Amino acid sequence: MGLFYALMAVGLAMIFGILRIVNFAHGEFFMVGAYAYALTAMKLGINPWVALVLAAVGGAFLGIIIEKLLMRPLYQGYASWSIVKDEYAVVVTFALSLFLIHFVDKVVGPSPFMGPSLMSTQRIAIGPIMLNGQKIISAGISISLLCGLALFIKKSLWGRQIQAVAQNRFGSSLAGIDPVKTTSIIFAISGMLAALSGALMAPLMNPAPDIGSFPAIKSFIIVVLGGIGSIWGSMFAALLLGVSESFFAVYISYDYRDAFGLFILVAVLIFRPHGLAGQKGRGA
Amino acid sequence: MSQIENLWSRRLARDLKCLLLLCALMCFVPLLDLSPYTLGILIVGFYFALMALAWNLLAGFTGQFSMAPAAFAMIGGYFTALLNFHLGATLWIGIPAAIIGSALLGFLLGATVLRLKGPYLSLTTLAFAEIARVFIGNSHEFTRGDQGLNVPTLMDDRIAYYYFFLALVILMGSLIFLLMRSKYGGYLLAIRDDADAAESRGIPVVRFKLLAFTISSAMCGFAGCMYGTFSQLVSPEMGLLQQTGLIISMVVIGGIGSITGPVLGALLVYLSSEWLRDIGNIQLIVFALLVMIFARFFRTGLWGIFLEIYARLKSKKHN
Amino acid sequence: MKVEPLLRIDGISKRFGGNQAVDHVSFDVPHGIILGLIGPNGSGKTTVLNMLSGELFPDEGITYLEGSPITRLSPSQLAHLGVIRMFQMTRVFGRLSAFDNLLIAGRAMGLTAAEASTRAQSLVQELTLEHVQYLDAGQLSGGQKKLLEFGMCFMCPPKIALLDEPFAAVHPVMRETMSRFIQSRNQSGQTFLLVSHDMPIVKSLCHESICMNTGKIISQGPTRSVLEDPNVIEAYLGGDNE
Repeated sequence: MGLFYALMAVGLAMIFGILRIVNFAHGEFFMVGAYAYALTAMKLGINPWVALVLAAVGGAFLGIIIEKLLMRPLYQGYASWSIVKDEYAVVVTFALSLFLIHFVDKVVGPSPFMGPSLMSTQRIAIGPIMLNGQKIISAGISISLLCGLALFIKKSLWGRQIQAVAQNRFGSSLAGIDPVKTTSIIFAISGMLAALSGALMAPLMNPAPDIGSFPAIKSFIIVVLGGIGSIWGSMFAALLLGVSESFFAVYISYDYRDAFGLFILVAVLIFRPHGLAGQKGRGA
Repeated sequence: MSQIENLWSRRLARDLKCLLLLCALMCFVPLLDLSPYTLGILIVGFYFALMALAWNLLAGFTGQFSMAPAAFAMIGGYFTALLNFHLGATLWIGIPAAIIGSALLGFLLGATVLRLKGPYLSLTTLAFAEIARVFIGNSHEFTRGDQGLNVPTLMDDRIAYYYFFLALVILMGSLIFLLMRSKYGGYLLAIRDDADAAESRGIPVVRFKLLAFTISSAMCGFAGCMYGTFSQLVSPEMGLLQQTGLIISMVVIGGIGSITGPVLGALLVYLSSEWLRDIGNIQLIVFALLVMIFARFFRTGLWGIFLEIYARLKSKKHN
Repeated sequence: MKVEPLLRIDGISKRFGGNQAVDHVSFDVPHGIILGLIGPNGSGKTTVLNMLSGELFPDEGITYLEGSPITRLSPSQLAHLGVIRMFQMTRVFGRLSAFDNLLIAGRAMGLTAAEASTRAQSLVQELTLEHVQYLDAGQLSGGQKKLLEFGMCFMCPPKIALLDEPFAAVHPVMRETMSRFIQSRNQSGQTFLLVSHDMPIVKSLCHESICMNTGKIISQGPTRSVLEDPNVIEAYLGGDNE
């Protein structure tokens, strides 16, 4: 479970940590990805692996559109806006999330269907542990994606631009990097990762328009826990959360399992606003 | 309009006049011989007007974008209902309890989020709201969980209830007007625009943030309790994030940072939501879309648009 | 001349992580002086200012205002005691009119509505802001905002005004207005502590100066002698060896 969380959370971490924008609609990327995957695979009969890729692309695309339409005022220097930046992000992404949830609900309908698995075998027995084939493959994909992302950021041109913008937005624009384009890329990656995460999870759940909400909240918890701006921190926190949550659910109380995560969020925000591994932002 | 009209005291005065005008118009509505169902919708619209006013006080005037207003309404309603359910307490005790209880919790939440900025504040209040709702929903022994609790009613005549709620809106609006006209209102606005600068100018920011939180939460709790007496039922659904989303939409569309805006937004949004629901349940889609459009292009909401038009008309008259 | 200095700073220090930003700094600010605090980037002067205005608390040391310790008070408490601070990046209340900004600042310091209004009107005149006084403060130009912030700080004449690089990036005409304002107030007895990079301004305005480098005071006294002090020159030039 931790790995799924990680995949989603990293996307959020990028937006939050680098751009300092809170994206309440992050969960909806997840949901869109899940739907895209399930629909294309089932209704159009496309090979599940291809559908997976389509979902990822769709997520990226959605990310770019949103950035273009909604996010520009946050950093395009609308002078009188500078006072309300953070709150604008909150309101707008919250509205976006509601919009997406209900739009999909309306357009697609809440008909219950499950996306097809990537593998035909449902269960694999490894020793005494019964594992779900889908989960294994998803885990594998997640890990490789996360590693790929890490490499991408470290090595590729775009990746380094992202790092530059993360450290100093203004300075990097002087150096010839276009911060707007980089921001688009960040949104695209974020959307793609979340959508992919949703697509991978699709075979395991009953799709409903609001399935994105819980993962989103978990992502926020993870990002705050792991520290704003630290991607490794988020990954670590994700695993931590996944494990401790299952623990809590089994040993203490199943109903309150999700509330547990929220408690952690509040606790961290109050006592250690910089999370476990984050950097000290300049007044994040 | 000459520039001096931009002075806060004048802006507020215009605001209140418009609110009173709006409410005066609403006085005549029951004369239209509406069905009890329609009246009921208007009454719930007034409930949302109260909530919108309360949230605007916190967000639009003080800059604290809490995600918990609906949760406080639920909490207020439950204070009254629980006292009635477990102890047989009448509304004479139940209503003050709702106000005081919500105020206390609001104070505590406010104290928790004191040092948090923008999104962190929203996240924490969101967490609080969800925890509260889940807690109430799952405590079957104590609160009957999802089934909700009954609340005794204040009066039987729906038309009387209509005027009662309308009077509450006028009362709340006027109280907020008085607050915002005083120097304390100025402090809140200063905190909204720049809390650190406000501190340096001698405003005890902590004290006033807490005050805003307490008052706003108390208002929400009171509104929730009143709603409870009208619908005679409180349930965890009152505290859904969706409801908060609705309230935020109302304020953003109506005009954040004013008094008439939230009320106007509440009535328009709620009335249209009933209409849109009949069309095909698209109300939240439309509202969310409107919020995004307004937040992006019409930051001052309908109230701001109205002021613009009024200003242009007035300058045309001069020329 | 009063014997007790207005402000006494006694051995304050501040460390950030591995960096000793301020290292046992002590000095007095006598009544009625314009004191300059200069030094190269990173010398700790802004940190000192932050500690004086309540934004930061020193790790050790005490600050006294007219004999009473004020070390751990909040900015708003200090404001009420008469210690006012102006920020380097101008901070005004953007969505309120400039006049309202002044009114609020005045009320916050305890003026009645009538007093605040009268005082605001005269300040608007003095700061040549009549034509923009009813505009939203956020719409003012940078220089006008700076003047507005001056106005807000002086709605109630403070005991001491701490100015953090007030002339940075300001139009020469504005500088004139600001300098005149500072000097005229000073003639009525207003004490100033001025952090600045601008040598000509420091020379023309400040009676005495203190120069810091790497967290310590390296020179203090009449401005002219401080500016001619070889230690100071070396600090600014980065320690060239001749």
